[in-house]
Amino acid sequence: MSRIWILTWFLVRDLFRSPAGIVPLAAALAFGLIAFEYGMDQPQFMSVAGVGTGGICLLTGLLLAGRANRAWTYPLLARLKRRSELLAAIVLASLVITAVLSLLIGGGNLATGRLTLEFPSALWILLTWPAVWLLAAALALPLSILTSRAGSYLAGWVLLAALLVGYDQRVRLEQRGLGRVVEVISVLLWPVTTLLSRASANVHDRSYFLALGLTVTYAAVIFVLAGETFADKDLLWPE
Amino acid sequence: MIYLREVVKHYDQTLALDRLSLEVPEGAIFGLLGPNGAGKTTILRLIMGFLFASSGEVDRGGLTPGEIGYLPERAFYPPRFGVREYLLTSARLAGLGRGKAAAASDRLLAQLGLGGAATGRKKLGACSRGMLQRLGLAQAMIGDPRLLLLDEPASGLDPAGQKFMREQILALQEAGKTILLSSHHLDEATRVCSHVAVISQGRLVRCGPLEGSDGILALRAVSEATVTILTEPLPADLAARLASLSPEITVTGGRIVLAGQGVRHKAEVLRLLLGSGADIRHLSERQATLEEIYLEATGE
Repeated sequence: MSRIWILTWFLVRDLFRSPAGIVPLAAALAFGLIAFEYGMDQPQFMSVAGVGTGGICLLTGLLLAGRANRAWTYPLLARLKRRSELLAAIVLASLVITAVLSLLIGGGNLATGRLTLEFPSALWILLTWPAVWLLAAALALPLSILTSRAGSYLAGWVLLAALLVGYDQRVRLEQRGLGRVVEVISVLLWPVTTLLSRASANVHDRSYFLALGLTVTYAAVIFVLAGETFADKDLLWPE
Repeated sequence: MIYLREVVKHYDQTLALDRLSLEVPEGAIFGLLGPNGAGKTTILRLIMGFLFASSGEVDRGGLTPGEIGYLPERAFYPPRFGVREYLLTSARLAGLGRGKAAAASDRLLAQLGLGGAATGRKKLGACSRGMLQRLGLAQAMIGDPRLLLLDEPASGLDPAGQKFMREQILALQEAGKTILLSSHHLDEATRVCSHVAVISQGRLVRCGPLEGSDGILALRAVSEATVTILTEPLPADLAARLASLSPEITVTGGRIVLAGQGVRHKAEVLRLLLGSGADIRHLSERQATLEEIYLEATGE
């Protein structure tokens, strides 16, 4: 675990000392300004900012994985017991960066009165959002070239886009007689949509906890699959 | 210590290693020699576990990744990290605690001529090639690994830097480390390596200890290796007897030249000459150089 923390801290410093470090900051700033333009109450914040910060986490994970996919990682990787430690550090670094940015977004808007939160119910954010971020960070791994084999990351992007577009267009798809497709998409996305909708409604029942557990399970499964792909991949990083 | 057995490695359709077998003995400085694209870096990366063999076996002799230090071919490091900061990260990843990591980093930086607060703070992007190569060696050495894999350690260094690198490598061997290095510098290999393997187009064409009766340099398979003996003009029967020992022995008056495989008969020739009371006036032996062996082996 110590090695993972050391590598996490290395990845965070490396990202923010490079021009690429501006990207998550800019994304957070843009989200903080645009999404909060007309203010947000707690239910909106729970769901909209949950998705938004999840997007920032995905973006951060992709940036970190992209930066790790180069020759200067060889000497670092040489010190690790398992390659999956590098992936764990990428996920952890994504979570840490997203947590700090979320704190700045929330804190900034809270201070300027564009966000209202009620305590202690607002504390459910601390359980809800990290699960979404964990899924987003894990998802960044197979969507990056780092773990990709034979262009598998492209297939991942197509699948993700299909799921999100399909979910967004579910009414239209049903009208066209593609109810089955909508059902499959809804089932696949149920954990995340349920987690955020329940949290937004301040309902923390069995469905909420089941959705929470399934979201974390999704993240774990995706992480393990990415780890398996990465474990025996030939690493030919450009120098 | 390290064994490669019948290793084949393909990059897509390209054959990088062709049934290559190699043994790196413990405590050796083992040089992998060969032209660009011969497969030297592939061998090092296979041992490090960055690549996987298409077939065959890579046996690390039970060493875990943490027990192997690695110096990559190119000095490519995150440019916005400081020299000491980067080495500290390597030390921590090698399993050293905060205090030990700092002490080991400072000791190695001083040993490799990178000591001092100003150098320690210097960003890697602003370092010269020589400094980066020294830092690369430091990060490979930190944590006291038993085996060091050094990919072109003298590459891009000036003569002073090359000498410094040689001294460090020899010091590591004296400290009981096993070193496997790849090199284009035959002179460097001759000076530091105890064993060499010449690789060409993914195949092992020569391998063994450098010195000694069974050494690469003693094999004398190279046509340029010769022994010349000068005596007074020899009687015809003695000259004929000497020439009959090998087709590569020529006798012209008082000049006897043993070339190629003929060199193997040096002792017999001398015994016959001394036995006949011949006055040996001069004996010179021209041993094959590693460069000649290399050029012959690689067909360049």
